[in-house]
Amino acid sequence: MNATEKRYEDLITQNEDLQSRLDEAESVIEAIRNGEVDALIVKKDNEPQLYTLKSADQTYRIFIEKMHDGAVTLNKEGVIVYCNSSFADMLHMPISELLGLPFINIIPVAHKQEVSTLFEKAWHSDSRAEINFPGRSRPLPVLLSLSRLEIEGGHSLSIVITDLSFQKEAQQQKKTLEQKDEFISIASHELKTPVTSIKGYLQLLRFNFKEDGDEKASEMLSKADAQVNKLSALINELLDVKKIESGQLQYNEEQFDLGILVKEMVMELLSFTYTHALCYSAEGTCMVYGDRNKISQVISNLIENATKYSPAKSDIRVEVASSGNKACCKVQDFGMGIPNDQQARIFERFYRVGGLLENTYSGLGLGLYISAEIIKKHHGKLTVQSEYGKGSTFQFELPLI
Amino acid sequence: MSKIFIADDDLDILEILKMMLQTRGYQVEATTNATDILNCKGDRPDLILLDLWMSGTDGRDIFTRLRQQENTKKIPVIFISANSRLKDIAAEYAVDDFIEKPFDMNFMLNKVKGILECS
Repeated sequence: MNATEKRYEDLITQNEDLQSRLDEAESVIEAIRNGEVDALIVKKDNEPQLYTLKSADQTYRIFIEKMHDGAVTLNKEGVIVYCNSSFADMLHMPISELLGLPFINIIPVAHKQEVSTLFEKAWHSDSRAEINFPGRSRPLPVLLSLSRLEIEGGHSLSIVITDLSFQKEAQQQKKTLEQKDEFISIASHELKTPVTSIKGYLQLLRFNFKEDGDEKASEMLSKADAQVNKLSALINELLDVKKIESGQLQYNEEQFDLGILVKEMVMELLSFTYTHALCYSAEGTCMVYGDRNKISQVISNLIENATKYSPAKSDIRVEVASSGNKACCKVQDFGMGIPNDQQARIFERFYRVGGLLENTYSGLGLGLYISAEIIKKHHGKLTVQSEYGKGSTFQFELPLI
Repeated sequence: MSKIFIADDDLDILEILKMMLQTRGYQVEATTNATDILNCKGDRPDLILLDLWMSGTDGRDIFTRLRQQENTKKIPVIFISANSRLKDIAAEYAVDDFIEKPFDMNFMLNKVKGILECS
């Protein structure tokens, strides 16, 4: 045998070897496809390694089995070839009964046409629809998301079924709340619009008189404007009470330093307070978590009360300090004070301190009620210490962070 | 002088705002129909005062469309409303500023001045 012949024979042998390996590989793939293989032993680094087919896709299987959404695979005739237990639970049927069933059979009559059209569409592109499944006590709203699957040259459809009942319930709750909110919005709009016009025209008139040098008219209009501001504040109080009653006073919470807020409020109020001396003192930082605007509403209510119920030209002390795990703000006046028997009632709605001067002081008696509610919502407490004829100290505490 | 566009469905308030702004020499265009703002062509305003709640139109929708349109997306907008949730709505829509009704003349004019100076 010469060299060429030897080479030819080698090639034949190698070819036969390769052919048989290929045949073997093909028959293995065929067996895997037919579900006849449970595991494979593969030589890797001369060490045999066992691969079970179950372990290869186990993660995905578990994921699909355990997910809350229903998962279904349909063959091209629309028959269920696979479904997970969530899907079976949604329909209250055992998986065994569902397999082999045309998907369209489980769709309520009202949705059959819609779902058929959806299937047609799904063969070309992903499609979605919201329908109701027949539930046990009431229909179950679901979202069907369909995608075409290409498996081994064949076509099938996968459907993910999302339970929308929680979402629908939340939407319903939101709607109810919005309807309640609507009354307050309308009342707010209807009450404030005329006030806006009155205030606007008064200010324009005042501006014109001032330009013309008519100080007297300008001053009168300024007084009228101040009264409009009072009216506007009363409208806000009434609306706040309405919101508190219906649980709709909204809080936008953030982290802030109570000391800085009180200082800012005092500075701002100083420019309007001509009759009283406001003294402010603070110790260190007092970081709290809450609605800055609402807390400033409380502070200005307490300072305004102190001004209102104490004789002109006297001091008002505003103090912020921290003790333990609480931030504390005190507003002290040296005015008329509150009789002992009435102290407990001043935080009630529409309650106003009685006595000789009861009609001298304006207001609806809502300010302290609103303030107490705001502080309560912040897990704090609004309290009073007072001595009739000597003055009052209002104090609120908020948890420090 | 800066040009300001105002939309409010209340004629009195429209007049008030217009007169107040004119005291500072601004050029003012006022409308009760908010969709007019969307169609402003060559004469682009420097600032828009937009009422939140107009009959038939929601100021929020108008604002969203203003921000989508190429020719209006950079114009500063101030929401003006008696809505008690105005502050939250203004924050939610990231509007340039807001003015609560009833408003003080000087407060309103200072806000307008501030916004115009920034832009």
